[in-house]
Amino acid sequence: MSGEVLAFWALAIVLVGSALAVVLTKNLFHAVLWLALALTGTAGVFLLLEAEFLAAVQLLLYAGGIVTIMVFAIVVTERLVGERISQTSRRIGAGAVVAAGLLALLVRTVAQQRVPPTPPEMPGELTRTIGQTVLTQFVLPFELLAVLMLAGLMGAIYFARPDD
Amino acid sequence: MGLQAYLTLAAVVFCIGLFGVMTRRNTIGILLGIELMLNSVNINLVAFARYLGDVTGMVFTVFTICITVAEAALGLSIVILLFRVRRTVTADQLDLLKG
Amino acid sequence: MAGNGTLALAALLLHALAFLVLAIAAPLRRLGRPAGYVSILCAAGSLAAAVLSWRAHAGEAISRLVWTWLPSEGQTLATVGVLADADSTLMLVLVALVALLVQVYSLGYLHDEQPPALGRYYTYQSLFAFSMMGLVLAPNFVQLFICWELVGLCSYLLIGFWYQRPAAQRAALKAFWITKAGDVGFLIGIVMLWRHTGTFDLAEMRVLAENGAIPLAGLAVMTFCIYLGAVGKSAQFPLHIWLPDAMEGPTPVSALIHAATMVTAGVYMLHRTSWLFALTPDVLAIVAWVGAFTALLAAVLACVQNDIKRVLAYSTVSQLSYMMAAIGAGFSAAGFLHLLTHGVFKALLFLGAGAVIHAVGSNNLSDMGRLARRMPQTAAVFTIGALSLAGVPFLAGFLSKEEILGATLAGGFVGPFVLLLIVAFLTAFYMFRVVFLAFFAEPVVAPAHAAAGVARVAHATAHVETVVEGAHAHEAPHAHEPPASMLAPLWVLALLSVGIGLYFTVVHPEPEFTSPAWLMPIAVGSALAGIGLAWATYQRRAIDAASLAAAFGPIYRGALNRFWIDDVFERAYLLGILGFSRLVGWIDRYLVDGVLNVLSAWTVTAGEDLRTMQSGRAQDYVYGVAVGVLVILLWVQFG
Repeated sequence: MSGEVLAFWALAIVLVGSALAVVLTKNLFHAVLWLALALTGTAGVFLLLEAEFLAAVQLLLYAGGIVTIMVFAIVVTERLVGERISQTSRRIGAGAVVAAGLLALLVRTVAQQRVPPTPPEMPGELTRTIGQTVLTQFVLPFELLAVLMLAGLMGAIYFARPDD
Repeated sequence: MGLQAYLTLAAVVFCIGLFGVMTRRNTIGILLGIELMLNSVNINLVAFARYLGDVTGMVFTVFTICITVAEAALGLSIVILLFRVRRTVTADQLDLLKG
Repeated sequence: MAGNGTLALAALLLHALAFLVLAIAAPLRRLGRPAGYVSILCAAGSLAAAVLSWRAHAGEAISRLVWTWLPSEGQTLATVGVLADADSTLMLVLVALVALLVQVYSLGYLHDEQPPALGRYYTYQSLFAFSMMGLVLAPNFVQLFICWELVGLCSYLLIGFWYQRPAAQRAALKAFWITKAGDVGFLIGIVMLWRHTGTFDLAEMRVLAENGAIPLAGLAVMTFCIYLGAVGKSAQFPLHIWLPDAMEGPTPVSALIHAATMVTAGVYMLHRTSWLFALTPDVLAIVAWVGAFTALLAAVLACVQNDIKRVLAYSTVSQLSYMMAAIGAGFSAAGFLHLLTHGVFKALLFLGAGAVIHAVGSNNLSDMGRLARRMPQTAAVFTIGALSLAGVPFLAGFLSKEEILGATLAGGFVGPFVLLLIVAFLTAFYMFRVVFLAFFAEPVVAPAHAAAGVARVAHATAHVETVVEGAHAHEAPHAHEPPASMLAPLWVLALLSVGIGLYFTVVHPEPEFTSPAWLMPIAVGSALAGIGLAWATYQRRAIDAASLAAAFGPIYRGALNRFWIDDVFERAYLLGILGFSRLVGWIDRYLVDGVLNVLSAWTVTAGEDLRTMQSGRAQDYVYGVAVGVLVILLWVQFG
């Protein structure tokens, strides 16, 4: 087996396993930690797909930022730690069926598609290309994203006001 | 590995995330599931970018990551506020819109 | 001769003119007596026109004066106008004459009425005369039916003239409804006949019939339906029950409408279309048998009545049935002849009875007696009328009655002939019972069977006439001759009765058949026997009336109860209407409302159940979306 295949399978197992752990753990705090692992696995997948910049962004923002926020939220709110899975989740059977069904259909759809046999060559300096594309071809979404950030910032400030 | 493998991986993670959204009692747990789903979307985008030779997919991955960060921040702050008002974050008990 | 149709038309239109003037000019009408003068003037003109028209149409002359009324696909569907021939103009004269005499008589009889009511009365009288003439002169079935209904309306209006009285209201409605039952059949018959022959016109249809161009299949049903109209209007069994009750109207109305003209419309119509009925001998047989039976039934009922007008009413039913029997036997000319003579002397009898009622203040025979002493003229004319009705020679009714008896025999209807012979005997008996009890006999204090009859026939004697002058069961002290306005018509009719009788004795009309020689003696003999029995029972009191009645025990009891025919009608009507309305009510409550209630209940329940979908929890909605996506994908993949 080539290294790529091996790496893929390893990352896949890590990712899927930690994702399952996220949704099935009884301790919410543990779930967040498992999420961190899943996000790291995703970064690994990005590396495998030769998107180094994105892997870095993923690790910085996702695994670093969001997990931190989540931990803060858990600490501030009431922690739900249950002895049984039924205390932390409900409608497990039906949810599993629906999710499994959806998965089956998606996989079937994916499997039926034709794929390009060999991946074409990626341009050399990926980061530079991404940067140029963002600021030229997709500058409008970029600006809108800035507006969104601003709105989020204002919202967060508003939420953080003390009660008068 | 072919494109289909990555797509399948993304699909699996998506469905796991969906399962989490549907079943978790704690609101923060639901948000965790949403994170997983968004993550899988990113994997999808990057995989397509790689196998079709188009950098657009990666550009949009950057965008979605940014948006996800904003959404997570605000969502969690809403959860905190909800906790302040209703003293609970259990999704079962947040049914004020019950018909 | 040109313009002959116009004379008949003029006769008709003069009454229409009187009606329109009185209907529109309300101030004139409310004056009362002047309205009467207007109406009488037009009636006199109408009589003159009618007589002239009759003279012009003696023999085979026929005038047809029509205007197109309903067009249809290039042809004419119906016309209006007059069809004047020997029969119709003769009938026209009868109608005009009796109408005029009755209107003059009413001036005296109704002199106590309020002027507005009197004006209303004359308006109705003019309308009636116009409608009756329209019926008589109708050239086609459409106009015939329209005028038929109009005279029915006038009958209703005039029977219920004293509308404040409940008995009058009921009687008017009863008359209207019962005749309406017959009219439904009549209308059905007319329409069916039109579809069968393609025309409404009487003259055209007659040509078709005489050429054998009318297919016979199904014709019997049509003629029977048409006969049903006559059953209602001319009071044949079982629709005879309205005529006795119609006596609630003023006596002149009874004389005009329920003796001489309207009720004879049925007989007249059958005579007019005799060429049509000749094609269906089975229906004619029914006509004859029903006629004979009704004659007997009515004669029996007339024998036990205490109310003088009701005796005359049943007598009218009986005599109408005589005419029907003759028509049924196939010799409608004999029936028509009796119609004319009967019109004269029955009107005379009614008007005479009106004079008696006016004088005594009551309809009951038990309140009368020995009136001949105080009212000799009235007694004389009344007796002339009674003799005519009984069929005594030299008077009007004799020849026509004998013709009818001969006709039934010649037509081969032996059963009806025997019945009619019995009826002749009874006719003489009951009529002279009235004559003796009212005019010549000593009044009896509370006679046994009359009192019992009063108790039983409560319905007939429940009404109270205008003024009760105190005297009961003994001679009326205030009886007097009626005024000239009432006496003059009486004498005219009496002289006519005698005159017609003598005329026929001298100028014997050619019958269409030969009667056996023994017929006349037997007919006269039965009449004299009836008079004799009445004299013995009521004048001489040689035979006790009570035991005579008791001898016929069950028949007598039945007759007092009018053979319960009215009760049968009433019960059936109540059951039918009530039952039907209960059924409809049940359907409305349980089916119509029930369906709606079930539907609304289901809607509410469904709403309540669907409501549980809105749990308020966002997770459940996500679950729903996921399931939906799954279903769509499945459908796209495998559908």
